[in-house]
Amino acid sequence: MNILPDQLPFWIAGPLLGLLVVGLFVVANQPLGASGAYMQTMKAVRRDTDTVGWRVWYFGGIFVGGALATILGPGIEIRRGYDSMTAAGWSPTFIALVVLAGAIVMGYGARMAGGCTSGHGICGTAQRSPASWATTATFMATAVAVTGVLTLLTGGDL
Amino acid sequence: MRNPMNLVGGLFGAGFGFVLAAARLHEYDTIHETLKLESPYVFGLMGLAIGISLPLLWILERRQVATVYGGRLALSRSKIERHHIVGGVLFGAGWSIAGTCPAPALAMLSSGATYGAVAVVGLFVGLWLRDRQVAAGTGGASIGDGEHRDLQTTPAGSA
Repeated sequence: MNILPDQLPFWIAGPLLGLLVVGLFVVANQPLGASGAYMQTMKAVRRDTDTVGWRVWYFGGIFVGGALATILGPGIEIRRGYDSMTAAGWSPTFIALVVLAGAIVMGYGARMAGGCTSGHGICGTAQRSPASWATTATFMATAVAVTGVLTLLTGGDL
Repeated sequence: MRNPMNLVGGLFGAGFGFVLAAARLHEYDTIHETLKLESPYVFGLMGLAIGISLPLLWILERRQVATVYGGRLALSRSKIERHHIVGGVLFGAGWSIAGTCPAPALAMLSSGATYGAVAVVGLFVGLWLRDRQVAAGTGGASIGDGEHRDLQTTPAGSA
């Protein structure tokens, strides 16, 4: 519907995210993470008795909220995504394999570190947790380095 | 609704997903332009999110504010351990290769990008693989940080 701009400026989206972080602490004393919600959703599917149910609603909420912003913005369009990889001449199967491999490594690392970009990167750092600052610095530096290698390997295509 | 926390969870999840998609963090290019150091967008966004929430949480913690459903506000701080660094390296590598992270992957899928489903499935597989090792006692502890602590009992309706 193009009610939203193409991309919110970071100086609007960032503070909004910060207020959501504070809000969830004030309401529920809980961090606005994401990988923990994946874990609880997995537990719900397995019907584990110690599943934290509201995290499953939260998981679904992220999906619905993303759809809502897309409807108010450019509109939902069924497409593959990862246009840059297609432009680099990669086949759909190869792209899927790369994304799958990257996501598996990411999930494994998130579970090992105890959080991801939101859990450690925003909520943990905002709680002044040394472990979160160390994790965030580590994954930021690694991601920049790996991206540099990817750019070199693909001759600047990625 | 029997458990008001479910509604709270759904609403905060929706707000989170909304901001991520409105900021186009679910697009590979947004992430990669920052990781290639061509745009400050993601760093600026995260920096401002921390810049707003860190001082506010500090003040609320000092005032020992009572939260609505979670008792007295308690922030958690953990010591740096090896698994944070090794996990951070793996997470960072995966983040760069897949060009997305756990919450934006969901928003990517719901924006209509079908490869988002591949990323979500991969995340589940990776989390599950590590979780199995932790459960088997061969992986060391990795709960107790900012993120993976969870409300065990919710005093439903006792607000």
